[in-house]
Amino acid sequence: MGSAKPIKLGAWIHGVGAGWEDWRHPDALTDASTNVHFYKKQAQIAEAAKFDFVFIADSMYIDKNSSPHYLNRFEPLTILSAIAAVTKHVGLVATATVTYSEPFNLARQLASLDHISKGRAGWNVVTSWLSGTAENFSRREHLNHDTRYRLAQEFLDVVKGLWDSYEDDAFIVDKANGRFLDPSKLHELNHKGEFLSVKGPLNIARSPQGHPVIFQAGASENGRNFAARNAEAIFVHYSSLEENRAYYSDVKRRAVQFGRSEDEIFILPGISPIVGRTQEEAEAKYRQKLSLVSVEKAVVALSRPFDHYDFTKHNLDDPFPDLGELGYHSHRSSAEKIKEMARKENLTLREVALRHATPRGDFVGTAEEVADRIQEAVEKRAADGFIVGESLPGELENFTKQVVPILRERGLFREEYEHDTFRGNLGLKKPVNRYTAQLTV
Amino acid sequence: MAKKRQIKLGATITGAGTSHNTWKRPEIKGNESVDFEYYKNKALQAEAGKFDFVFIVDSPYITANSAPHFLNRLEPLTVLSAIGSVTEKIGLVGTVTTSYTEPYNVARQFASLDHLSGGRAGWNVVTTGLEGAAANYGRSEHYEHSVRYRRAAEHVAVVKGLWDSWEDDALVRNKETGQFFDETKLHELNFKGEFFSVKGPLNISRSRQGHPVLFQAGGSDSGRDLAARSADAIFARSSSLEEAKAFYRDVKQRAERYGRRGDQILIFPGISPIVADTEEEAIARHEEHAGKLTIEEALVELSRPFSYYDFSKHDLDAPFPDLGDLGSNAYRTAAERIKRTARENNLTLRETALLFARPKNHFVGTPEQIADRLQLWFEEEAADGFIIYSEVSEWFTEFVNKVVPILQKRGLFRTEYESDTFRGNLGLEFPENIHTKRRKALAEKEGAKV
Repeated sequence: MGSAKPIKLGAWIHGVGAGWEDWRHPDALTDASTNVHFYKKQAQIAEAAKFDFVFIADSMYIDKNSSPHYLNRFEPLTILSAIAAVTKHVGLVATATVTYSEPFNLARQLASLDHISKGRAGWNVVTSWLSGTAENFSRREHLNHDTRYRLAQEFLDVVKGLWDSYEDDAFIVDKANGRFLDPSKLHELNHKGEFLSVKGPLNIARSPQGHPVIFQAGASENGRNFAARNAEAIFVHYSSLEENRAYYSDVKRRAVQFGRSEDEIFILPGISPIVGRTQEEAEAKYRQKLSLVSVEKAVVALSRPFDHYDFTKHNLDDPFPDLGELGYHSHRSSAEKIKEMARKENLTLREVALRHATPRGDFVGTAEEVADRIQEAVEKRAADGFIVGESLPGELENFTKQVVPILRERGLFREEYEHDTFRGNLGLKKPVNRYTAQLTV
Repeated sequence: MAKKRQIKLGATITGAGTSHNTWKRPEIKGNESVDFEYYKNKALQAEAGKFDFVFIVDSPYITANSAPHFLNRLEPLTVLSAIGSVTEKIGLVGTVTTSYTEPYNVARQFASLDHLSGGRAGWNVVTTGLEGAAANYGRSEHYEHSVRYRRAAEHVAVVKGLWDSWEDDALVRNKETGQFFDETKLHELNFKGEFFSVKGPLNISRSRQGHPVLFQAGGSDSGRDLAARSADAIFARSSSLEEAKAFYRDVKQRAERYGRRGDQILIFPGISPIVADTEEEAIARHEEHAGKLTIEEALVELSRPFSYYDFSKHDLDAPFPDLGDLGSNAYRTAAERIKRTARENNLTLRETALLFARPKNHFVGTPEQIADRLQLWFEEEAADGFIIYSEVSEWFTEFVNKVVPILQKRGLFRTEYESDTFRGNLGLEFPENIHTKRRKALAEKEGAKV
């Protein structure tokens, strides 16, 4: 039977787009990645459609082969703060790494965004997979995969501990007796761990939603465990109904093993729908997108999950080369998937590159068809909702105008926001302050 | 024809107050420091008054005795980004320490703020005076004073170098040819120093104003030097006209010794003006406000530049205790001034605390009197402008509504913004990208050879 729970929807705001050539589309704003009006407008489109959140991805290393959006873009916490000032209901999810920032500073900035937005912040916890990043932060070597996840767990624990520095009723504001604060409700963290040592307290209190909502996006073994243990929402690539069903049941099972309820963790695949009034129109739009890519640039794009390996030394129409262990230390899952696809389907380097550069995805068609796919994925437990990327200029708005009304008609998506906070709208409980919880016990 | 020199104005926004008496006022609710509406309203008010900038102070360490604003406040870059979103012309200056941040992150966040505001960002460079901060960042001890400043000099050099990663015409974005950018105009930094090793490039380009405006706020020798070498503006704390003039002269001379033009570094004393219809009334307001501070609270405020040293164990009416070196690694200038003042005037601990908590305020009086004093400081070269550090909304409103118009009438302050960017309004030169500069110099040399 169909899911009684409403679908979650997020909008992925990604400047000029994920591809190397998206900016060449006739309708594309070539400076979208640093255009505040573009970002505000996308957020307002999402909010008008009652989306749960907007999402900003991130990374901190570039070279001349990086994609246009990666080369020159807003930093997530600053642009989301700007968006907070011109929105009222939509959640604001920032990607921020644990590997190259201080937990005190990050805890503070996320809490600040949470206050500015009156309880709408979210944090997508990442561990920085581009190995060149270390060199921007005075470190010679990138941490290996396992170490990064141990660090991530400790870092997240420290940040959550800092967020709880003030109990929710710590501020008395008793003017007559000159008591602003009840000092017994301010707590030092005094954390000393494998990687981090942080005393606290944090100099900002909890917001109306308690803590920012925790997102995570790992597909590897470590990533799935981390997500199952800690995440409230999980961003995953949408590959196929079957693969995503397998991922969904695996992660939910792990979450239950870690003592959590299935209902407090949402799996949200990322999709880039293309909607047309007819199937033909949708396909034509996709072909237009494909026509923007040159194979030379596609080959350069392919190098990213393989530590910027130089594929140009291989012949384009030869079978995809054997790369051994390359890609193991960085973005493990993406590299493995590409190798497997090449092997299974006997693809040439050219074919792998083009497919990687402009994946079509399953959400290309009429509004009814796309709504059907979404409904099917949710009913068959492949997703609890989706993060919608803009495949072509105007497609986010197009999706909200054509597909979302159908989801509403079918009772699958909200008519109005139910709550004031991001957590409230997601149907998540406000976390109890750990110090208050201790007292209650 | 050179434009007439005019006063520049900034305004701090400090919510529930950085002293222990502000929050006791009836109009303060208590949560102002985390309420965005509060910041937004003050910024809009300052913008309507044609102020050059708003200024967010900051530090990363508290104890249960800290003042309300310090205890629970919004973080500078996030709040300034939100303010930038709802304002159009006013500059946005945020305080961020070099001691506990990565230069890549700082460069990026300020550049992002600069872009989203259309060229209005500013960075107040500090090194963190509160020694307790170290424990929030995995260190057993705060950096020693001179080390802090060496690290700061490097940190600023890295940030400025990263800001120049993209030359201003590097982003070609030609749909027909398919060229997104000119590869020869994107530059790695490859910085290797005592504290930092940063490759770059930065993943964001320069804004309309080139670089965020750099403020510095240290009064020590190291602080003045750092400012003279790399800052565009200084937040100064001077307690008298003579002291302010001496500071002004010193910093400008240092800047010139570093090959800079004196008019490209602006000095901003911080002042807390109290305006009323008569001088008596203004003084009465000042006394009433100061009177709300208990001696215990005054002691806490006194202790801050000494890393929150616990003065309560000393006899209040005994001479100010000998603290030895204490404070020299914290807020050095403030600590030294307090010790010197106490010694030279034979003050007790009580007298010192009360004096520090209510320092002499030269800007208390009628609108005309205050305007006269501002004009005096400006014309006597004690200031290029002022940062209005006003914690009482009513008093700030009076300043904007009553004092600013007098300055405008006298031609000492703008009636409209001259520029869309912060640098433009401050009258500072556009910083040329160093790579572009180098390229031009090389081309000239080549040209000269022919």
